Amino acid sequence: MHLLPLLLYAAAAAAYIAHFAWRDPRVGRLATGLLAGGVLAHTFLIGMQTVQAGHAPLVGTSAAISAFVWLLGLSYLYIELTSDERSMGAFVAVLLVGLDVISALDPAVSPRPPVLQSPLFTVHVMSLLFAYASFALACALGVTYGLLFKEIKAKQLGFFYARLPPLASLDLMNSRAITVGWTFLTIGVLVGAIWAWQVKGSPDPRVQAMSLADPKILVALVSWGIYSFAVFARKAAGWSGRRAAYLSSIAFAVVLLNFVLVGYFLTASHNF
Amino acid sequence: MRLFAVGLSHRTAPVELRESVDFSRKGLEHALAELSARGAGRELVVLSTCNRAEIYVVGDTDETEQVGRFFSDYHAISHDSVSQHLYVHRGSDVARHLFRVAAGLDSLVVGEPQILGQVKAAYAVASDGQFTAAITNRLFHSAFSVGKRVRSETGLGEGAVSVSYAAIALAKKIFGELKGRSVLILGAGEMAKLTGIHLHAQQVKQITIASRTLTTAQGLAARLDGAAVPWEQVDHALSAADIVVTATGASEPVLTRARVDDVMRHRRNRPLFIIDIAVPRDVDPAVGQVDQVFLYNIDDLRTIVQENLARRGAELARAEAIVDAEVAKYTAWMQSREIVPTVVALRQRFEAIRRAELERLEPKLSGLPPEARARVDEITRLIVEKLLLTPTEQLKSVSDEAMIVAYADALNRLFSLAQDRDRGEISSEEESGVSS
Repeated sequence: MHLLPLLLYAAAAAAYIAHFAWRDPRVGRLATGLLAGGVLAHTFLIGMQTVQAGHAPLVGTSAAISAFVWLLGLSYLYIELTSDERSMGAFVAVLLVGLDVISALDPAVSPRPPVLQSPLFTVHVMSLLFAYASFALACALGVTYGLLFKEIKAKQLGFFYARLPPLASLDLMNSRAITVGWTFLTIGVLVGAIWAWQVKGSPDPRVQAMSLADPKILVALVSWGIYSFAVFARKAAGWSGRRAAYLSSIAFAVVLLNFVLVGYFLTASHNF
Repeated sequence: MRLFAVGLSHRTAPVELRESVDFSRKGLEHALAELSARGAGRELVVLSTCNRAEIYVVGDTDETEQVGRFFSDYHAISHDSVSQHLYVHRGSDVARHLFRVAAGLDSLVVGEPQILGQVKAAYAVASDGQFTAAITNRLFHSAFSVGKRVRSETGLGEGAVSVSYAAIALAKKIFGELKGRSVLILGAGEMAKLTGIHLHAQQVKQITIASRTLTTAQGLAARLDGAAVPWEQVDHALSAADIVVTATGASEPVLTRARVDDVMRHRRNRPLFIIDIAVPRDVDPAVGQVDQVFLYNIDDLRTIVQENLARRGAELARAEAIVDAEVAKYTAWMQSREIVPTVVALRQRFEAIRRAELERLEPKLSGLPPEARARVDEITRLIVEKLLLTPTEQLKSVSDEAMIVAYADALNRLFSLAQDRDRGEISSEEESGVSS
């Protein structure tokens, strides 16, 4: 059962890529259907895990990645249905599959340690996951902006020129995704800080490790810095277009690094 | 019931003649009413664009001659000058022709997208005036879906095939809708004017024209609802513009790298699309290296047009295949419409004869036991079935429109089938406005 969403995501990714290449509207609808099916199956999976464990499966990196994949799929579907623009699906669905493979490798739901009972913990995790989902979309938008920009600039109008929406639309959507993501990132970090301060006296060694020197916290703050720059540089210094596109791709690479690599191997404070 | 089309197009008639038979000048409604008054047919659609004038008719008789005359009579020109340029299509050839027209396959520039809208508009006028009914409804709706399918399933309509459209397509790929965008045109010559007209049609927010002599700039500005600025204020206008068209007669570059670098500083990184259609070039090629500046000159645009034309050629076969499939569907529908009433009438006729004969023989049969009577009934029914089997199959396999009509006529006459039957059916369908 826990592999069903992954299989549907993989099928959706294949269909999105096929649709991107051939532009057959039927394949496009099939892709959307498969992705919607994947998100639905994923919703059931998360629901079942919640019932079984008695709490939302947000503890542990695998569970967090799974929840992130679910949120990203949901957000992307919302954007696709409201904008009627499917070309980003190929990029997003591949990301979904890649991340869901990681979480599927270790599908067990971890028990929730008492220190995480606070509602602040749920707000912290959900805000950050939603922020990351926005950043993932911004990254996909940034990458496609870069590809299209290159073709137009080099006067080689080809594959992407025929398939992607205008640069201005990509830039606008990128700007929105970054702003939404930055807002939730700020909330998530602040709530995390408040929660860490509340449980400061806890004997749990992981709580003891909550400091700016911990890689997870440090990199989170670094990515907050980068995204703050992205938001304000656009407003103040006209960092739009290609610069914003590159920035959103690089920043998401940092986020991903923190989320997966640091989350699994390096952090002493966030390895619940 | 006969479907035919009479018309002329860029393939058969020179532009002067096409201009002189433009039905849209006095309004299509007027032409339709006139045609109807002449009894040309019961369903009428007039399609009139700058490249073609065509009349689609469904009538009881073949009035192609009369409709052909209408082209000259209506526009008060000599018939001889028109007649040799007219073509006539009948039956399923009408469907093939219209489907190819709607798909842009018969256009001067193959795959151009406007024609589908023009076909839709022509149908809408006819439909509003209640000149259409079951056959034209089905015909034109099929044509719309052919046009849509060709556009979405093939690359035929893709890619601009004129320099101006290539420039506008590029601008749209950079800026999206051009509605809120500002345009600056440097130069006021013929090329500047042409591009300006195309951009004006895109409803850009503002068109500014600068030329070495202010009065020529003002002349073009009046034509394009724009504003003229003196040559000295070009730098200021450059910072405000999103799209710059350069078409001056200058022998040295007007826009140098240093000048554009300077302008970009004031633009806060907003993208700038420069279209250099001047020969010799007005813009230093190094300008294309400036971040957020997209520079295309006339040769770049021509290359795009060439590539697009080549690509369209490759998509032709796929588009024709779609037309073939839709024509087959339409023909099958027409055929079933035409032949089914005849088949039904024929069978009813045979059945009536059988029953009449059984009734006539009733006194002789009444002495038989019930099983034997049932057997007689069964045997006569089987004989009728057997007799009708081959003719029915043959009739249903006829695909040629003219043959269907001929068969129907022959059968109606040979067996004096009820004529009013299929009339009644058709008119009831007309009233309910079947269009699917």
